[in-house]
Amino acid sequence: MARDYRLAEHLPNLRPDRQPASPDELPRQRNGVTPQMHSRYPDYNVLDEADHWDEVTRRTVLERLEKVPEIRFFTREEAATLGAFCDVLLAQDREPKIPVLNMIDAKLFAGELDGFHFADLPDDRETWRRVAAGLDAAAVQHGSIEFAGASPEIQERVVNAFAEGELHGQVWDELPPSRAWKVVTRGALSAFYSHPWAWNEIGFGGPAYPRGYARMGVGQRESWEGAAAFERDPVKDTKRRGVQGT
Amino acid sequence: MSRRHELRTLLRGALRPPENDSAFLLDVHRRAVPQERMARYDDSYPVDLVIVGAGAGGATLAQRLARRGWKVVVLDAGPFWDPDADWVSDEAGAHKLYWTEERVTGGTDPVELGKNNSGRGVGGSMVHYAGYCPRFHPSDFEVHTRDGVGEDWPISYSDLKSHYERLELELPVSGEYWPWGDPHRYPHTPHPIAGGADAARGGARKLGIEMKVGPVGITNGSFGNRPHCIYRGFCLQGCKVNAKASPLVTHIPDAIEHGAEIRADCMVSRVELDESSGRVTGVRYLRDGRERIQRADAVVVAGYSIETPRLLLNSTSARFPHGLANHNDQVGRCVMVQGAPQVAGRFPDEMRMYKAPPPEISSEQFYETDERRGFARGFSIQTVGPLPIEHAQHVIGHGHWGRALREYMRDYNHWYTLGILSELLPHPENRVTVTSEVTDQHGLPVARMDYSQSENDRKNIAFAKQTLHDIFEAAGAQDVLETERYAHLVGGCRMGSDPERSVVDADHRCWEVPNLFIADGSVMPTQGSANPALTIMALASRLAERLDLKRSGDSEAARRSRRSRGRRRVPTRAGGG
Repeated sequence: MARDYRLAEHLPNLRPDRQPASPDELPRQRNGVTPQMHSRYPDYNVLDEADHWDEVTRRTVLERLEKVPEIRFFTREEAATLGAFCDVLLAQDREPKIPVLNMIDAKLFAGELDGFHFADLPDDRETWRRVAAGLDAAAVQHGSIEFAGASPEIQERVVNAFAEGELHGQVWDELPPSRAWKVVTRGALSAFYSHPWAWNEIGFGGPAYPRGYARMGVGQRESWEGAAAFERDPVKDTKRRGVQGT
Repeated sequence: MSRRHELRTLLRGALRPPENDSAFLLDVHRRAVPQERMARYDDSYPVDLVIVGAGAGGATLAQRLARRGWKVVVLDAGPFWDPDADWVSDEAGAHKLYWTEERVTGGTDPVELGKNNSGRGVGGSMVHYAGYCPRFHPSDFEVHTRDGVGEDWPISYSDLKSHYERLELELPVSGEYWPWGDPHRYPHTPHPIAGGADAARGGARKLGIEMKVGPVGITNGSFGNRPHCIYRGFCLQGCKVNAKASPLVTHIPDAIEHGAEIRADCMVSRVELDESSGRVTGVRYLRDGRERIQRADAVVVAGYSIETPRLLLNSTSARFPHGLANHNDQVGRCVMVQGAPQVAGRFPDEMRMYKAPPPEISSEQFYETDERRGFARGFSIQTVGPLPIEHAQHVIGHGHWGRALREYMRDYNHWYTLGILSELLPHPENRVTVTSEVTDQHGLPVARMDYSQSENDRKNIAFAKQTLHDIFEAAGAQDVLETERYAHLVGGCRMGSDPERSVVDADHRCWEVPNLFIADGSVMPTQGSANPALTIMALASRLAERLDLKRSGDSEAARRSRRSRGRRRVPTRAGGG
């Protein structure tokens, strides 16, 4: 079903249940990869532009694709729980997935912290470990054996309670959930939206040195930036792209 | 000065700034600051001045005094950046620009530190600031007298005015004619603005709110050997172009040319005190794992609002058991941040807010107290242009995660974001202390910052946030998302006229130590709702004038001997541009 993105009807705040429609209604990515292959810009692949980036930036970004670090900081059990948590938090319900937990693990393993921790929390490394234990404990409260193996409904309920700061008992009595939520979401979002697959999904122009940007007006884009899927006429577009219509 | 300054601004960028060749000393084809000719002093050689921290305050002070023949060494805990090799056009890749050593943050409204407000390395936080360079208003210096809140400064706007003017030429600052505070022109013309900023300005105008382009420390047109901005939008990740002003490109090159040494990767662990005389003798620091002491006739601490109090509090001695210059328990108190909520608005057309520098337009129409609003002091409105990670934090801050978060992020190109800087008032309980329970990689106790808002603070933030909602509604936004955050850091070692209630006097001299000075944002008694960078530089520029004036009171003989001790040179490499 086509959507008109000039309207804002797809946005959760404006929908009765504050939830979006299924992303399966979106086109599949045709050029390059997006997480789960959902896309608004199906023919735009930011990596096509990598030759235009300066060398240091190119290395930094491409390493995220080419070198997926092994899990070294978390235990196998913690990694299972937190991997499942990151999947729910970022709605990564199938491949291809951005390896968010591996990216977080690498930072924590290397001791690359963010420069502060809340006085009522331990440092970020210990906070992540306790969140793993806390998520399992919360899943047990909901009648499951652990978080990773819980049903999607229970996982969603636990994450929702975490987001609302409404987790109680055991670990959570000593780990204020609303502060811990800030720590883990900061880590997860920084990993996910630093990945070029996520840039494809949202149509972000990406690194622009030394080329820069020149078209900054309303509704304008650079010649190499992607068009949103429904800005184009599907009939003319198949002709333009040389695709045989039926 | 002012009339001449007025005329000068009419000439835009055609004239060189007076007494600062930094832009011309940079290399045309490389972004790194040339260091081949930099002086190297021996640790045991007592320089005139050792400065801790090469940021807005320290670098400006070093440049000014090096020009006047002082022998200056600046120590910085972080690296001497090479923008070509060290910086990337990438949000997550900018992590090393921030102070990422551990700190503890507490209080009822704790402040997230790290990337938002703390720098590391030569150039300081201005390496990753957005680029806004507004002046403070004249009212900022007499907040208590005018509004009965906060604190008066021991100096007035007129003490800083000539320094503001000079710095605006040096950075240089570009923007429209500025109608607020002390009205003034800028030396560089305003930058073009992107579609989103134009839409927001249109919405504001419908409500009678005027927004102006700038003021930003970003060259419009080339400036010396610094090229034109390329509008790539990564100002907060370090400017790889050298178009955005930071002390690394605006003051360090000229300081080096005049004999200052910038010694990077040196973590200062304490200020050394001569117990008998009560004077400081230099600083102890760690370099390559080895402890050293740089001797100096005077010490300036310019490590910003957290590291400056931390260094003083960690410098205990028999004379100062509670930290250097801290007999009255003032060090670390009245640290401040600005309330900086952001509201994003959704438009039918694509705005692609990642293009153009995040600082585009701003308004100071709500800067001063208006009793009808129900709180003292005010706020300013600015554009912020968040990149994907920052915008994702905004979306989750509004309460969306999972599929809703992904849906909002897929819509990223349709959004534009405005931010607030609310003047939050100084409170003594908001303070920096040190905690020996947590130590850094060198085993030094780390800083703990406690922060809680007052009723006036909450009212200010709430009113300001509503104003952004109103602007987006008037601009025709279809949906809005809001998030709470803070910006900037100032205070912690404030200047004053009462030794019982301040750390330094009007000349930045510690009340309790005659040759110890503080030259960063921590001396500010209040903060206005302007970004602090330009004012920190202006304070350092004034301090240089005061110090040199004091020194020229020395005997002529002493001055001659000081000069003959050091290397004198004439800038000869000024070229290009």
